[in-house]
Amino acid sequence: MELQPRHEYREELSKLEERALDGLDLVVASLDRTIEAVQHQDIELAELVVADDDIIDGRYLEVHQSILALFATQAPVATDLRLIAALLHVMKNIERMGDQCVNIAKLIPIAGHEPPADERLIKNLVTMGNATRAEIRQAKAAFAERNVDMARDLVRQDDVVDNLNKECFQLALEIGDDADRREWAMTMLLVARAIERIGDNAVDVGEQVAFVVTGLFREFEDASHPEAPFIEPQPSP
Amino acid sequence: MNYQPSDGLKVVDPEETTMPRIPGQAESPPPATPSASPGPGAGLEEMHATRQVRIEDLHAYYGSVHAVKGVNLAFDPGHVTAIIGPSGCGKSTMVRCVNRMHEEIPGARSEGRILLDDVDLHASNVDVVTVRRVVGMVFQKPNPFPTMSIYDNVASGLKFTGAARDEVKDRVNAALEGAGLWNEVHDRLSSPGMSLSGGQQQRLCIARALAVEPDVLLMDEPCSALDPVATLKIEELIGQLKDRVTIAVVTHNMQQAGRVADTTAFMLSGELVEIGPTEKMFTNPDDSRTEEYVTGKFG
Repeated sequence: MELQPRHEYREELSKLEERALDGLDLVVASLDRTIEAVQHQDIELAELVVADDDIIDGRYLEVHQSILALFATQAPVATDLRLIAALLHVMKNIERMGDQCVNIAKLIPIAGHEPPADERLIKNLVTMGNATRAEIRQAKAAFAERNVDMARDLVRQDDVVDNLNKECFQLALEIGDDADRREWAMTMLLVARAIERIGDNAVDVGEQVAFVVTGLFREFEDASHPEAPFIEPQPSP
Repeated sequence: MNYQPSDGLKVVDPEETTMPRIPGQAESPPPATPSASPGPGAGLEEMHATRQVRIEDLHAYYGSVHAVKGVNLAFDPGHVTAIIGPSGCGKSTMVRCVNRMHEEIPGARSEGRILLDDVDLHASNVDVVTVRRVVGMVFQKPNPFPTMSIYDNVASGLKFTGAARDEVKDRVNAALEGAGLWNEVHDRLSSPGMSLSGGQQQRLCIARALAVEPDVLLMDEPCSALDPVATLKIEELIGQLKDRVTIAVVTHNMQQAGRVADTTAFMLSGELVEIGPTEKMFTNPDDSRTEEYVTGKFG
């Protein structure tokens, strides 16, 4: 049998990518619980989300350590180098998404066990959560397939989430004069904001897909220059 | 051909039989402060890398074996160019063509042009001895002359030039300083060159090459026989010398190419696959064969 050069290294690299991208599944699981906790204003479930974030943090540390070891022992270059650099970013985004779930989970008890919830606002938050969940799954698939078009489509999906976030704001404005309801609505706006940030993190993962494939890093959308059109990455001369 | 004596490259007049000249000799003014300098001379400080080596459609053969197949590339002054590629890809042969070492091998020949600025080094009227003074070379295994002292090793190339004794001394000291060896050997210049460590011997060979003030320095696997510390010293030296002399380094060590070279060329099966800024070659090469080689998928 002919042995492929750097056989063990290639296996390590492949395993590293798998462990990192599986971190997105951990986020999806955490987000699912988070959305459910929001939907039912379930404080106990929210506490589980907080506790289980250690799993995501642990994955972050594990992948980070593996990346350091590969840098130290294998001197990765070219596509391998870009992949490993991208996985470092992806893993950081995963860790941030997990933290946003924790942020949401910590907001739920503030409103208490029988909060004056507004059905429309809750429904909007659940829709946002599900759309963000779909973004995360698509980001994972785009990375695994090195599919830049699929990655760039995340921008379109994220616009949907952004619009839902704005709708939440409108719904909160219309919540009425009751002080308790207003306080609850303000808290839920923070929830909406956290979900919206998770969507942004998913887009960031998509940008890393484009980096791995093209070698060029460009934000899909530049928040500070929204009028500038997206520039198609070109291979440098 | 617009030959100027100060170019240091002697075009031999078929009627002329005298030894060709090198810079800083006879027709050129002597170094600014040679005799006034008590320590290492200042000659190397005045060297500036200004000359470009341009290889045009180079083919090289060993008998019927076609080792280099139409390579075009340039070694730019002020830049270190690394040439990487698997064994047998023709990289050493290519650089050996530059100072016309290749033609010394029985049955070996080459075609194409190798230009130092606008002078074709392979032209029939260019003297090969002069070419090798202008284009110095350092080899994989340190090869000091075994019977000579440290001093005589470095002076060996100068003695044939008719340089005055004091000038030779200044140039030797300057070359040892330039090769980063002066502080280690200044108090034992008469010891045998072979008494030095491997890394010091290689720097001695670099000093020997520098003593004749070449315009180009070719290094063929200069650190392959050295330990990591000696390797890093040579690499640091390469960085210090690149403003003084145009440098090309053949290396199997891709991390070395990454550390020392501004430009990296990748050769495969006698052909130049890709040449570009080193950073790009190791982060995002254009050619899939470069990608596969640098990531270790073959080679």
